Amino acid sequence: MEALSLREETGEKSAVVGQNTLQLIAFSIGEQTYGVEITTVREIRAWNGATPLPNTRDFVRGVINLRGTIVPIFDLRARFGDGQTSPTKNHVVVVMSVGDKWVGILVDAVSDILTVSRDDIHNVPEGNAIDTELLNGIVTHDSRMVGLIDLHAVVSGAKLDA
Amino acid sequence: MSDLDDFKATYFDECSELMNELEEQFAAIEGGERDADRLNAVFRAIHSIKGGAGAFGFSGLVGFAHAYETLLDYVRDGRVEMTDDVVSLCIRANDIVADHINAAQTGEELDASYGMEEKQRFDAIARGQSGSDDDEWSGEIIEEFDIEFTPVRVDLALADEDEPAPLAAEAEVDAFDAPPMPIEPGHWEVRFTPFRQLYSRANDPLLLFRELASLGEINVRAVMADIPPLSDFEPFGVYCSWEITLFAPDLTEAAIREVFEFVDGDCSIEIVPLGHVVPPAARAAAPAAPKAAVSPKPADLLALTEDEMAAAPRPVAPAAEPVRPEPEPPASEPELSALSFADLADEIKATEPVRAPAPIAAPKPAPQTPKPAAAAGETGEEGGNRSVGVQSIRVDLDKVDRVVNMVSELVITQSMLTQQMDENLRARYTELVRGLEVLAQTTRGLQDSVMAIRAQPVKSVFSRMPRLVRELATKTGKKIKLETIGENTEIDKTVIEQLSDPLTHMIRNSADHGIENPEKRKANGKSEIGTIRLSAEQAGGNILIIVEDDGNGINREKVLQLARDKGLVAADVTPTDEQIDQLIFAPGFSTADAVSDISGRGVGMDVVLSNIKKIGGSVHVRSWTGKGSRMTLRLPLTLAVLDVMLVKVGESPYVVPLSSIVETMQCSGATFERVPSGGQVLQVRGEYVQVIDLAARFSMHSTKQPDERFVVLCESEGSQKVALVVDDIIGQQQVVIKSLEENFEQVEGIAGGTILGDGNVALIVDVQGLRVTHIQQKAA
Repeated sequence: MEALSLREETGEKSAVVGQNTLQLIAFSIGEQTYGVEITTVREIRAWNGATPLPNTRDFVRGVINLRGTIVPIFDLRARFGDGQTSPTKNHVVVVMSVGDKWVGILVDAVSDILTVSRDDIHNVPEGNAIDTELLNGIVTHDSRMVGLIDLHAVVSGAKLDA
Repeated sequence: MSDLDDFKATYFDECSELMNELEEQFAAIEGGERDADRLNAVFRAIHSIKGGAGAFGFSGLVGFAHAYETLLDYVRDGRVEMTDDVVSLCIRANDIVADHINAAQTGEELDASYGMEEKQRFDAIARGQSGSDDDEWSGEIIEEFDIEFTPVRVDLALADEDEPAPLAAEAEVDAFDAPPMPIEPGHWEVRFTPFRQLYSRANDPLLLFRELASLGEINVRAVMADIPPLSDFEPFGVYCSWEITLFAPDLTEAAIREVFEFVDGDCSIEIVPLGHVVPPAARAAAPAAPKAAVSPKPADLLALTEDEMAAAPRPVAPAAEPVRPEPEPPASEPELSALSFADLADEIKATEPVRAPAPIAAPKPAPQTPKPAAAAGETGEEGGNRSVGVQSIRVDLDKVDRVVNMVSELVITQSMLTQQMDENLRARYTELVRGLEVLAQTTRGLQDSVMAIRAQPVKSVFSRMPRLVRELATKTGKKIKLETIGENTEIDKTVIEQLSDPLTHMIRNSADHGIENPEKRKANGKSEIGTIRLSAEQAGGNILIIVEDDGNGINREKVLQLARDKGLVAADVTPTDEQIDQLIFAPGFSTADAVSDISGRGVGMDVVLSNIKKIGGSVHVRSWTGKGSRMTLRLPLTLAVLDVMLVKVGESPYVVPLSSIVETMQCSGATFERVPSGGQVLQVRGEYVQVIDLAARFSMHSTKQPDERFVVLCESEGSQKVALVVDDIIGQQQVVIKSLEENFEQVEGIAGGTILGDGNVALIVDVQGLRVTHIQQKAA
């Protein structure tokens, strides 16, 4: 069953291995690992600078040219309130689709592709509103926590006065 | 199925063109130009719409269009007078036709009674004038008239098979030199000689004959004397023509010509009232030759006729009964007769000169040969020109867009290459430099040509507006007249598409809030009828679209009050009138009911601004209390490529549209003054201009000394100048506008983005937007 669905991976949404499992791209910000569903990821590219956008919040790093279209880059660290990343060539932009838009997320490194069972997704513990807003859930991998990023939440509220 | 869908799509495209044409014609008709040409154009448009609708089975549309067409027909005949009432009924009818078309396109069902009232009025008017009530559309294609197909043989000997009609008998002798036949008045002889393009445009002579048959009694004879021997037979040649004797006492020549209206130019028509003397010139020349040509081989001809008929694409097929053999060739089949003459000459030389009528006939037409040929040349050319005039292809806009995009990228790559050429390279590779220069020229040319493909007259948008105004007038109970000027001004197709919504909003705004109701207008000493003037003109690299009305102007008190309520303007600030006027464009200002309740303006104005900004344009409004207001859209001629000045703010590249730049200068040479708000103004030749430091405005870190920076003096449509302070000016170039909103959202002060030659993104400064927000910020 698993092998069968794996072969379908190229089809849309079928990266979900089996009915109840989920494939994630895991990336790191500092010591912490986060993940997004692999089907949303369009491209992974090295950081190569971005044109800053004025009148936006600090976590909007600017825009880049992705083969002729302009794609905004969000600094995930800054979005989490840890201050702006000082990107180097080793930093990575994960381009993904959110709704009908493409956005790039600036992270420190992409670490792994994980297959997790949906049953293993835990709720984000109540507490700080930012956590519950930005994370969809939590899974455990290698006994470490992987936060599932809520992309819609990450890209919203980018305007300065919004 | 998809084929049919394709046809349908084409049909709807045509419909929208035809509807535009109708609007245009009626605009003129309404203005008093009620000549036959306009009516005919209207008639043709409706007829074409009906025809297509019939083919696709849009019965509602067919029914309505038919009733409408009938009325128009009577108007054309002069049986119904084109009174103002009829005109306004027709205009209303156009709207209904448009609705029917829309319904057919979207597949929705219109209420069966929709348009019934107008339809009945058509019928009433038509009936009232003509006394005929049998013109009710039966919903079917016209039933076959009893025109039967009879194979026609060209054999003089067979002539007596049919009733020995005088015509046939006469033909045996010589139809052309014989005196005109003594025929009672009311008979017409129609000589119909189709040209090849008639068939290639898929016209069928049979349909024309049917239509003639509806006018009176007809007698159709095929003329096959021109049919060459099979060996000379050209597969797509047209060799057959027809003579029709029509008995219709009350008919005018014009009425007969009308039948052939749709094949005008594709055939030669000669209409001769029988009983009159036929102009000899018309009769003499052409016929003799073919006759002579065939006469040597009557037997061959006979033998071939049927085969030829089978081989010929369509020429002989539809023939009416009773058909009489009639060797009389058509009066003019230009190319053919010219050809025949040449053949004839050869033939005469080659064959026995004794052969009876040929030598006699030949000399006679010979001198005249050049004449028909020349005439044919002329008409042919005319016809040719005409078809060149309408020679167009329908191309999917996507395909054109793809080309435009690629050309845009090409332009940019080219300018990037040119930038790479430094002095060193120039000296070393002169050939390369020359090549690049040619490339630059060619790309420019290519770009212009591509842009020309997309340029369209604004008419296509303007023509939608009269209907809007009529509807608004009805809805609001006001009397409004719409004037349009400069509708042939051409703009990029994409700009035109983006124009429809803003224009609708602006006109709705003018009608709703600007124009007062008739009583109030009267009380104010104005004409009861309010005027909205819509105009387009080209001004440099821009197109100005202006919507003016002679209404009450903007109610500044209410606008200001609302702006204060919404926190757009602080309570202690008193903006100038101009600033208040611009406030109607502020986002969030004109959102909802709050605005439509007041008499001030503001419905959908932010839509206007954002749409216009999206395409790189600007909006300006001016208002005169009690006298009216004017909104001006300044639009780029083309969307795809924008001429810009590349500047640096901090370390980031920004571009400023060249069209809004007045001049640039170094800060060291500029005189800045402080104003109480803490801001700065710049003195330029005695004028004080607001200064916006882009680095500060965009929160960029400027590393430059104040004196080393530059001032870019900008002016957007109609509004005051503004001085932007930037860190560096890099140069001019052309860029392709890319949307920020596609993947992000609108950013204040930024009109969009673009990709530079080095692959980096530069942001386009929204000069007008900056100014508006600057005012707001100062106000707040």
